[in-house]
Amino acid sequence: MPSINAITGWSMAAAAAATSVLAGDAFDTPNPPPPIPQEDIMGKPKPVELPADVAAKLTGIAPEKVALIKEGQTGRYVEKDVLFDRIRTLPAAELVTYIDAIAALHEQVEYKEGRDAKTIPLDTRSAWFNAWKAKRPLVMDPKRDPGPMDLGRYIGGRRGGFATFAGAPVAMTPEDLRAGKVDVAIVGAPLDMGSGWRNAIDGPRAMRMTGGAGGNDMYSMINPSSVLEIVDYGDIAIDQNSTERSVAHVREMVREIAQTGAIPIVIGGDHSLEYPNVAAAADVHGKGNVGVVHFDSHYDVGRNGVHWITHGSPVYRVLHEGHVRPQDYVQVGLRARGPDLETFGWMRNKGMKYHTMVEVEKWGWEKVMERALKEARTNTKKLWISFDVDVLDPAFMPGTGTPVPGGLTMREAQPIMRRLCAENDIAGIDIVEVAPYLDTSYKTALNSNYLLNACLAGIAMRKKGLPPGYFNPVSVEHGQDAYYGTKKKS
Amino acid sequence: MARTPLLARCAAAALAIATLCGPAHAQANDPLATLSPEKKAFLSDPVMLTHFGLTAEKLQVALAGRSAADVDAYATALMAVVEDSKFKAGRDPSEIALNPQARGWNAGTTVRPKLFDKLKRDDGPFSLKRYQFQKGGIPTFADAPVAIRKEDLVAGKVEVAFVGVPLDFSSGWRDAKHAPMALRGMDGLVGADADGGIDPGLILSIADYGDLTPDYMAPDRGLDHIRAMIAEMASVGTIPFIVGGDHTVMFPDVAAMVDTYGAGKVALVQFDAHADADLNDAHMISDTQTLTRLMEQNLLRGSDVTLVGLRGRGADVATQKRLTDSGVRILSTAAVTERGWQAVTNDILSGLKGGPENIFISFDMSVLDPGDAPASGRPVPGGISMREAIPMVRQLCAQTKVVGFDLLDAAPILDPTYVSRMSANYILHACLSGIAMRKTGMSVKTAKR
Repeated sequence: MPSINAITGWSMAAAAAATSVLAGDAFDTPNPPPPIPQEDIMGKPKPVELPADVAAKLTGIAPEKVALIKEGQTGRYVEKDVLFDRIRTLPAAELVTYIDAIAALHEQVEYKEGRDAKTIPLDTRSAWFNAWKAKRPLVMDPKRDPGPMDLGRYIGGRRGGFATFAGAPVAMTPEDLRAGKVDVAIVGAPLDMGSGWRNAIDGPRAMRMTGGAGGNDMYSMINPSSVLEIVDYGDIAIDQNSTERSVAHVREMVREIAQTGAIPIVIGGDHSLEYPNVAAAADVHGKGNVGVVHFDSHYDVGRNGVHWITHGSPVYRVLHEGHVRPQDYVQVGLRARGPDLETFGWMRNKGMKYHTMVEVEKWGWEKVMERALKEARTNTKKLWISFDVDVLDPAFMPGTGTPVPGGLTMREAQPIMRRLCAENDIAGIDIVEVAPYLDTSYKTALNSNYLLNACLAGIAMRKKGLPPGYFNPVSVEHGQDAYYGTKKKS
Repeated sequence: MARTPLLARCAAAALAIATLCGPAHAQANDPLATLSPEKKAFLSDPVMLTHFGLTAEKLQVALAGRSAADVDAYATALMAVVEDSKFKAGRDPSEIALNPQARGWNAGTTVRPKLFDKLKRDDGPFSLKRYQFQKGGIPTFADAPVAIRKEDLVAGKVEVAFVGVPLDFSSGWRDAKHAPMALRGMDGLVGADADGGIDPGLILSIADYGDLTPDYMAPDRGLDHIRAMIAEMASVGTIPFIVGGDHTVMFPDVAAMVDTYGAGKVALVQFDAHADADLNDAHMISDTQTLTRLMEQNLLRGSDVTLVGLRGRGADVATQKRLTDSGVRILSTAAVTERGWQAVTNDILSGLKGGPENIFISFDMSVLDPGDAPASGRPVPGGISMREAIPMVRQLCAQTKVVGFDLLDAAPILDPTYVSRMSANYILHACLSGIAMRKTGMSVKTAKR
């Protein structure tokens, strides 16, 4: 493991200044990752049975071209029955031309070594090739002790006019996290490469500038900001023209946080982030020791695309590189156009635990939530929660890149977030796909912050040793009688 | 040179930093005095300091009271930033890997041959209108008929074909991918131009050529395809009207013109608040370096470039100097404000005289004031108004041989109203009017009415 941070502080200025200002070794994250096993490749063409008369007409055609038809490869270009009709009716000379055209099209469409570039070259001549992620030397600022920086001026209140996550003080380095014995470090990762509407670049900014993440949670009567040491760890540098380059650095930075013992909470940014986040958690806690609850209207197990990572494929890349066992993946809220039946089958065979809105429709949210909570508690030591805000209904979260109607309500999402964070040893969470410009109101940012608050309250409940499903007895009812059958306490 | 500004400031305001200015004290208190020659030179280089947001004056404040060891550490740390910012083989990937196993690698950019059309039809643009006098219905650019292939352009003798390139990598706010769809669904691109006195839809054969496929995960990939497709349009005599897409798209657009008309035969007039002339980007292409790459690859000479509407943070002094030194003519928004649109338009036209005959106009929405066009990926306040932009574009298109036009970085989601989309369509219409006027030999009315 390379050294995790550059210039530390004035105490070590001279020594540290000689080291790198880059976080780590980008080759930590494989580029490319290992090839995809054949059994993971879905949507392969199905072989086609040639009717006898069609086969007879094809006797003069080159065998490799006939093989294309038999393998079902031609379905992409012409429907099977139309093709058969053509083969039956075209004069021999024209048939040869026609089949040649199909073969030529196929040749053009599929990847060909030497013709198609299988990499995107970067400009290595650039004098500022790594500038996007070069860290600012601490020596450029006045000397200070390590630890979270309170930006407030007054005795009352902490924010001091500066927008930070949950109104928390600011930490810049792992030394700050260690010195402050920080429990939770919230960090922005404004990766803006989602495939729908973009603007996740403004997710961290919007959540910092909108209230709701800090303060008392009435359900537990706990103010997480009082119980936990929470910091705003700033934003992680992003290369907005490359998800691959970005996620390699995100992984280094999330790992840097987790290595101090703080819980990283990553505010996205698009859902590609789930991959570096979970990989970083596995780097610290061990492969196979981390389970994931993936809230999302999308399954995000896309694979075998031209790009190795997009916001539709982080789950596959996590599984593919072995950071998490498939049976430790719990998905909640799926309802988008995918996956298809073949991929559902693949997910089942892998042991993945998916919970669609179909299941919620049939059994009701309470039962599905209990089932997901139970699954999350079993098997693994640590839990990562990856929360794509599009799991919520667009009525609550219009500001997201790929919204899908028919989603969760806030009153369904808040309890499960609170309980997951209270009932599990949290490795970290991410809240992703917040795209505020798609919402002319405040509600996407406010709701996202309230979900963050529910989780922070849960982490605080766990720290205080409160039991699962705990509600504060005072806030839960007035207690003037035994209306719910409970005994009145004086 | 480095010390001049500091000394000048000292002379003007001899306040707290007065001790830095006196020659006697400067030597004694110079925090750089104890540094090695290399480090001293590094921290004395004003260009280098600029990279760190420093001036000589700010550096003096930052280093005041620090020990010699700490000053040395400071210099070492900044030098490490410079060193580590460079590419290093073995540490930094030099390329981004793709997955060659992927099926249908080129499916998105492979044009469907006519042979595989489900229905047979004759070549030529075809209407999607049911009624003779229909407005609305299925949206197309300028309510124009649809052309799918080059053969359609040829058969219809199409003079102007709109084509969308929904590349979505603006370095500001993104959403340019939705511009082609949004502009198709907006009014303003049809009908007679009262000021130009002509209805371009009547005079010109116009078609909507659909969209071309970019790669939404990498600006680099797919540009060759876009370049080839636009060159193909131009090769049959059609003027492509390209609706982006972020300003990266200017690269394949201009390259396609050069492919068609030859190197040194195309001049660019770029309406843009930004120069898009950054250096030292780790990526081979992006919207902030389009002009750089076009010039670097000798697709354009500096003298073939006119930048109109530069303002705000669009280009720092060094960048402007680099461009003007190479022959680029810069006509800022301030010039339009001070001298009026007509005078600046005359300057553009006179600058083009003697240069290449074929003109490509690239219109970035940021050149407009955000009041007229909030839907711009990189908006800059204080821009050119629609009342200035429309006649400027109309005159340029009427008085020069425009071989292509692109309208870039319109990001409709940034404007919940119709205003930006309508403004964008009016700009496109202004150029259509100009082209129609040129075709019919109409003179441009420049006199005040």
